[in-house]
Amino acid sequence: MKLLKIAALAATIVGALSSSALAQQKLTMWSRSTSEAFMPTLIKAFNEKHKTQIELQIVPSTEMVQKYATAAAGGSAPDFVALDLVYGPAFAKSGVLEDLTDMAKSLPYFDQLSKAHLGTGTYEGRIYALPMSADASVLLWNKKLFKQAGLDPNKAPTTWAEIETAAGKVNALGNGINGFYFAGACGGCNAFTFMPLIWASGGDILVDNGKRANIDSPQMHDAINFYRSMVAKGYVPESAKTDSGKNFFGGFATDKIGLSPIGAFAIGNLVKNYPTVEFGVTFLPGKDGGKASFGGGDNFVVTAGRDNLKAAKEFLDFVYSLEGQTLLAKGGSLPTRADVATEAVKSLDERYQIATEAMKIGRTPSSPFYNDIINSSTGPWKQMLNEVFFGNDVKGSVAKAQASMQSILDAAN
Amino acid sequence: MTSLQQPTGAQPVRRRNNRSRRNQLAGLLFVAPALILVLIFFVIPLGMAFWMSLHNWPLLGKPRFIWFDNYSRLLQDAQFWISLRFTVYYTVIVTIAIFAVAFPLALYAERSRPLTKLYRTAFFLPVVVGFGSASLLWAWLLDVDSGLFSYVFAYSGLTEKRINLLADFDTTFWSIVVMVVWKTAGFNMIILLTGLQGISTEVQEAARMDGASSWQRFRRITLPLMRRTIALALILSVSGSMLAFDQFYIIADGGPQNRTVTAVYWIFSQSFMSFRLGYGAALSMVLLVILVIISVVQLRLLRNPEGM
Repeated sequence: MKLLKIAALAATIVGALSSSALAQQKLTMWSRSTSEAFMPTLIKAFNEKHKTQIELQIVPSTEMVQKYATAAAGGSAPDFVALDLVYGPAFAKSGVLEDLTDMAKSLPYFDQLSKAHLGTGTYEGRIYALPMSADASVLLWNKKLFKQAGLDPNKAPTTWAEIETAAGKVNALGNGINGFYFAGACGGCNAFTFMPLIWASGGDILVDNGKRANIDSPQMHDAINFYRSMVAKGYVPESAKTDSGKNFFGGFATDKIGLSPIGAFAIGNLVKNYPTVEFGVTFLPGKDGGKASFGGGDNFVVTAGRDNLKAAKEFLDFVYSLEGQTLLAKGGSLPTRADVATEAVKSLDERYQIATEAMKIGRTPSSPFYNDIINSSTGPWKQMLNEVFFGNDVKGSVAKAQASMQSILDAAN
Repeated sequence: MTSLQQPTGAQPVRRRNNRSRRNQLAGLLFVAPALILVLIFFVIPLGMAFWMSLHNWPLLGKPRFIWFDNYSRLLQDAQFWISLRFTVYYTVIVTIAIFAVAFPLALYAERSRPLTKLYRTAFFLPVVVGFGSASLLWAWLLDVDSGLFSYVFAYSGLTEKRINLLADFDTTFWSIVVMVVWKTAGFNMIILLTGLQGISTEVQEAARMDGASSWQRFRRITLPLMRRTIALALILSVSGSMLAFDQFYIIADGGPQNRTVTAVYWIFSQSFMSFRLGYGAALSMVLLVILVIISVVQLRLLRNPEGM
């Protein structure tokens, strides 16, 4: 009889446990490998405090788009994805994503969310993606090398001429030290660091709602000449010519590069892994001053047709809370909600403040064909940049890229 | 013994017919597994690829039937024709280079010498390394900062400072040709070696007795008798080179400035970087037709006058 009672009790407990487990929602989420420093921590903190549970899977950055597209086509896509924000329009256009417009507009802090993210997250007037993590492009300079070259280590260059002069002086130190670095065979890297130079000078890459390419502009030619001049004078290391992005960050970390336009992700990485590198952070300037930045990072998207909006809102509320934003910042992402941004990075390196400011002015070209025209390793943007920085026919290369980009846009529109 | 005698009359004809039919059926059964495999892994995918090539088939979104639009678009795709021209150029150069190295190696490794087996193994060794791994190894060798070649060149005074071999088209192209020869000459050597060993020593000896010089023997006996072996090695080398991808993708990333983008690289880029699966399929069909034509021409040219 006693045995029976125990058995009944055990059955009740097991039943109760399993029914509570059923009540818990287990959702799946994918995030790319570059977010490995903050996403697992963020998800863990969320899971500890909520009934809704999210299972995170990190996907190699280079495979994310292909993997998500294939999974969506095959019906095995995860519930949520942190997707590189530039791909928002392409996925929204294809109908893979849930419309988040009503939910987004119901958030009381909606107007505080990163404009760059919302820009690429909006397709034909509807919102399909909301800010997840952020990275803005900035200019880094090596204070130690500045000092050695007789420059004021605490004064950031504010125009292209100042950058070139400083790069020249640092370069003159010799001994394998170079003035300037950029990844010369990487379309994505240069969208991130070269486009802002054009924006800050008053130019643009895509106009008419992304329907027209505007590559062959005076600002573009000025910016090209600026880089070409530094290459011709030998301020840029030989390896930059063929760097497809693998050494985008590595160059500056060696303590042998004077200046480098790069992402805010480098700040945390340098502080943590290369504590001996003394560096300053400033805005990417236009030709005669001004400032601009590329707003990069990931957008949060929901796979369509899963009825997960309630859980999505629960998760986003946590992401945009001070706690969520601080966790993001601590892991190397910039905050995505402006009104808590300053508070979220308060405990961090002060150089994050500049990056946070840069994020506020961050811009991102929005086009469903972004990958084709800008990021693709065989695309017109990458080919043109490599030709104009290191080749001889600037005019011809720019005209060819302009025509090629326009034909991609025309074919699609 | 009488029981073993063949019966006479109409009966044996029918039996023979039956037997031949049974033989045919048995033959079909024997090749059936191979036929099924060819059907599943070649004929059906080929049909699907052709069907796909008639669609605007994005990786994201729904396919749309567009008849032959992909094919007419392909005619105006400048990069495809540039890539195809480059692939043919590469195929010609690399095939000549492979034969120029593999033939002497085969002749050398054929004769019995004290260390023949060691030579053969050494020449063959790079073949067992995958193209991907070999490309990664050479990507390092060719690296400007940490690679061996630029260091040796600079150290020996050949170049003033470390040079970036991958920044210039010619140096990139020839570096990859050298790498491919290193990687595949051993395989071609083995094929040629089997051909050489198939030539009867008596024929060679007879020619020698008649006073033929070694060049005459090579030209009049070895080469003609190796026609079929050479045809095999040539077709393998040409079709392999026309489909080159790994080394150009891994070592050069199609650079500098897209100038080493091969036909397959372009198909890959259109299909899996731009997600235009239908267009990629159309490009593949065209490349397939070109390859078939090249192979047929090669077989005809190398066919013996009395038939192969």
